[in-house]
Amino acid sequence: MTTVEKPFSQGQPVVVIDEASQVYTVGTASVQTEDRTLWQRMRGATGVSVQHVEALKPLSLVVRTGEAVGVIGTNGSGKSTLMKMLTGHLPPSSGTIYATSTPIMLGVNAALVKTISGHDNITLGCLAMGMTRDEVENKRPSVIEISGLSESALRLPLKAYSSGMSSRLQFAIATSMDPEILIIDEALNTGDAQFRDRTKARIDELRAQAGCVFLVSHSLNTIRSMTNRCIWIEQGQLVMDGEPEVVTKTYWRYTKFMAQKKYKAGAQLLAATKEALIEQKIAWQMN
Amino acid sequence: MATDDASTPSSAGDIEHIKINASNLSKVGFRPSFWTYLKQVWEFRHFIIFDSRSRIAGDAAKDSLGQTWLVLNPILNGAAYFLVFGIMLGTGRGIENFVAYLIIGVFMYRFTVSAIVAGSKAISGNRSLVTAFNFPRMTLPIAINVRELMRQMIAFVTMIGLIAIIPPLEPISWKWLMFIPIVAIQFLFNLGLSLVLARIVTVWNDFSHIITFGTRIWMYLSAIFYGVERFEDLPIVLTFMYANPLFCILDMTRDVLLYDAWPDPMRWLVLGSWTVGLLVAGSIIFWQGEETYGREER
Repeated sequence: MTTVEKPFSQGQPVVVIDEASQVYTVGTASVQTEDRTLWQRMRGATGVSVQHVEALKPLSLVVRTGEAVGVIGTNGSGKSTLMKMLTGHLPPSSGTIYATSTPIMLGVNAALVKTISGHDNITLGCLAMGMTRDEVENKRPSVIEISGLSESALRLPLKAYSSGMSSRLQFAIATSMDPEILIIDEALNTGDAQFRDRTKARIDELRAQAGCVFLVSHSLNTIRSMTNRCIWIEQGQLVMDGEPEVVTKTYWRYTKFMAQKKYKAGAQLLAATKEALIEQKIAWQMN
Repeated sequence: MATDDASTPSSAGDIEHIKINASNLSKVGFRPSFWTYLKQVWEFRHFIIFDSRSRIAGDAAKDSLGQTWLVLNPILNGAAYFLVFGIMLGTGRGIENFVAYLIIGVFMYRFTVSAIVAGSKAISGNRSLVTAFNFPRMTLPIAINVRELMRQMIAFVTMIGLIAIIPPLEPISWKWLMFIPIVAIQFLFNLGLSLVLARIVTVWNDFSHIITFGTRIWMYLSAIFYGVERFEDLPIVLTFMYANPLFCILDMTRDVLLYDAWPDPMRWLVLGSWTVGLLVAGSIIFWQGEETYGREER
């Protein structure tokens, strides 16, 4: 085993994930029909049993300024878990996550307040990020421009919006603060081509302002066109970390094997890729 | 960068040690100190005001009668109680101006109950907002209580109007102005209780069922449709009654609006202690759960 000592890389660290892991404790409401003892029946009377799921094995990662990190992996691989941990919404079961500021997450499902209008949602969202009323009014034109919504649409309550419209609005609101760390979870897949271009431009802007962006997507094209680094997470483990071109290609081969039911070849590829990964360890330096 | 010199393929099990200077990094998802937290809540006051105002408009749009229900609901309840307790069971016997007595009981009870029931759901009912933005979560129960206060304004005007027109007519005096500080304290009391309940509900969602039950029991125990005089021979019951903050609110309101009297200083003291106690305990309890509120229910 060799140890590679590396000096400071270019860019300041923005996000440092230090051996963070996640074990879910899930209550399952189950209706079992097979034979059970009386005791099991009594215990099961509430209909809830508890199981532990290791969603993410200890993982270390450093993300620096100006990086747009694509996150790929099959369903249930642990990508979303990692993103939730980054925002602080899900505390790691072990390990710690450090960041220069609290990451802001964008997801398709996180609608704002459905009963109030688009305009009011802009105000509410901006105020929720800590702006003053004046700052909100200054930002409003740019938010509207990024969202691409018309004035008449903005006067409607959010429940009248399509999912694409509300995720566009949410993207526009969430990026209006110029967040240092932005996490985008599948949000782009719902937008049309025009919005995708606008999003790309906005992501590039944020990166240029010494921030970093995480992009979770199943669209390998989106990852290739919008990111400059890509990590692949599979079965709760970091498998690959590198150029988007290379990582997406390997990942594509893996999914192809799995789709063709060539599980053995897939497992071999996964194991070989994992072997080649250089594990990262965080060495803290005191001032 | 993972893509630079160090990532050239090499033998298995390599470990790369990355030197990190911790100076401008902080842990994600940890709550600030209590005082910093309260300062943050204050900085988000615009959010509180806007949130409560926009929700009123949004809520009213659901029912065709909209805000009218705020007035209709306590009036219908009051009418039902008058029928059952006033006429059928006769609990109002010996109470001077029972109709107005009942109206004050029902309206004031409703303010506290709707505020704490809504306040207890401050986090669980706002998941999307909580997961989308990182604002101090205490702003949500505060906004809900401000909203409930604004909504009740119409109900209070109706209540005072009814007292003024339903015979026997009560003299309108300067003491009626004392109603304002009473409502102010009631608002703070509701807020303190909401903060405690909101935390409990996020930890244990089943508690919302208990809140529904608890508010019902509390109604029967708070002398809304009977007088405390009936317990004059039972000092223990009387002690409990006098220690009940909701009874204090009702009794003080009745003193100033109906009986042209100054509220008993003892009531101010009891209600004030409950309010201060709940506000302090509530903010600390709520703050302690700050980093847990964005988590998903599993």
